[in-house]
Amino acid sequence: MSNVAVKGYAYCLNHVPELALHYGNTPYVERKTKGDSEFLKQLPGTLQRFDEALAYPANQAYIGGMDLNALEAHPQPWYAHRVEGASRFGKYGEIMPEDEFLGLLDMCDVFDLIWLEESFAARIREKLAAHPFMTPALLARLEKGHSPEEIRGEAEMHHALPLYFGEVPVGCVRQGHDVDECLEAYVLLENLACKAGGVLALLHLFKNAGIAPEDVDFVVECSEEAAGDMNQRGGGNFAKAVAEIAGCVNASGFDVRAFCAGPVNAMIAGASQVAAGARKNCVVLAGGAVPKLCMNSRDHVKKGLPSLEDCLGNFAVLLTPEDGVSPVMRLDALGKHTVAAGAAPQAITGALVWDPLQKLGLGFADVDKYAAELQIPEITVPAGAGNVPEANFKMIAALAVMKKQLEKAEMNEFVKQRGIPGFAHTQGHIPSGVPFVGHACDWINEGRIRRAMIIGKGSLFLARLTNLSDGASFLLEPPQAKKASVDSLTKEDVKALLLEALSDLAVSLGKREA
Amino acid sequence: MGALAGKKLILLGERDGVAGPAMEVCLKNSGADVVFSVTECFV
Repeated sequence: MSNVAVKGYAYCLNHVPELALHYGNTPYVERKTKGDSEFLKQLPGTLQRFDEALAYPANQAYIGGMDLNALEAHPQPWYAHRVEGASRFGKYGEIMPEDEFLGLLDMCDVFDLIWLEESFAARIREKLAAHPFMTPALLARLEKGHSPEEIRGEAEMHHALPLYFGEVPVGCVRQGHDVDECLEAYVLLENLACKAGGVLALLHLFKNAGIAPEDVDFVVECSEEAAGDMNQRGGGNFAKAVAEIAGCVNASGFDVRAFCAGPVNAMIAGASQVAAGARKNCVVLAGGAVPKLCMNSRDHVKKGLPSLEDCLGNFAVLLTPEDGVSPVMRLDALGKHTVAAGAAPQAITGALVWDPLQKLGLGFADVDKYAAELQIPEITVPAGAGNVPEANFKMIAALAVMKKQLEKAEMNEFVKQRGIPGFAHTQGHIPSGVPFVGHACDWINEGRIRRAMIIGKGSLFLARLTNLSDGASFLLEPPQAKKASVDSLTKEDVKALLLEALSDLAVSLGKREA
Repeated sequence: MGALAGKKLILLGERDGVAGPAMEVCLKNSGADVVFSVTECFV
């Protein structure tokens, strides 16, 4: 078997402006190193309210509340042309407000690390009880809460970090160890937020894919966080921790790491296990990255723009054996950026796009849509990083010209036709190809496209272990008609086939004699 | 040897643009001295 079905998908955002303001790396480091700077004074005024985040067109596209073609046609800048009547829930998932997310953090905490103030905890319990996917078992995980004095004491005496909502402290994250830097409050906040995002996406996936938690066989997690202690800094694992909270009692799991190339590599790792028959099914998922919140906000503030990096992104995809109905992920032509491929942009694009196409005897025009890095341009352009998706599509088009499959004059049309707008938050691993899996599968089901390529690229050099980057890619296609398997043939079937063949032979011999 | 011969270079690469090592390869025969080369990622 070289194909695996993409049976379902879920995409969610957690709108967390207070976490962004206090613990996004850019403002966090600024506060630590410069104190109360002008940038930090201005930043709160540039963050979006929840209703604004809901109505931001790219956010709606991410949760499946808006088609990507509609997003492309939507007047820009998107932050100045919000969607009227935007809903919290889209067909793929939801945008969860920050107070509920803090409650979800507490639900995902099994070491009493999150303390919520008691009146806040009571309010959140009521709100989350109305959430369509919060089961009694999950709600029972919410703590009763602590007094403001207890929370203040934990911050003042034991290095806990305050959690805020509505500009006031409503709880804290406690440290996990007195001297272990891997278990300090900031690291644990980062990891718990990532875990909670993964749980939320998985809860939506159960509904979207029509699968019960206990039927999940395996989970592959692919964020960019490191769970461990001082003796094994990145020991893991998020996958099993997420599965536990979501009630996947028959599942196990592991984590895959490759910076932004993690999700595509994880999809390949999960699909390979399903294709080999080693796992009945596999969920690939990831939560978001707290440090990347407000990453480019210094430039946004400087230019008087809204700081749009206020959402954690997360996703979950269910992979199963081919079912003849669901779009499939091909495993016989995977893109791989090898060690020897080099760092030149055309070498990377060649390895990830051209090599797998060549393997199948296909050309650049045989792929209807490419999805590489899908960052929202309104976030990256003002910060000087350019329109990242467009840059990637231009590189693919340029390579097509080099391979004499496209005229130079047709490059812009190629980019327009076969590219898609960036609609994912600058959450590292999240924008890397996978946000398009849901839209692509829907478009394949609707007959709007026949083939999409999902491309992930990871900045391995940031870890200072190698100067190399990494990348991987795979193709999505329509389901193929179910072939009769050899196992399903009975002796009677074989007899009937033989008799039919002999009868055809007799007729043909008779005709020849005549 | 071209205009860069004898110059000292600092190369700042970008993940979705041109990476530091790719620029180093291009400048190998330029006669310039690459004193610092890095690739950064802002997304």
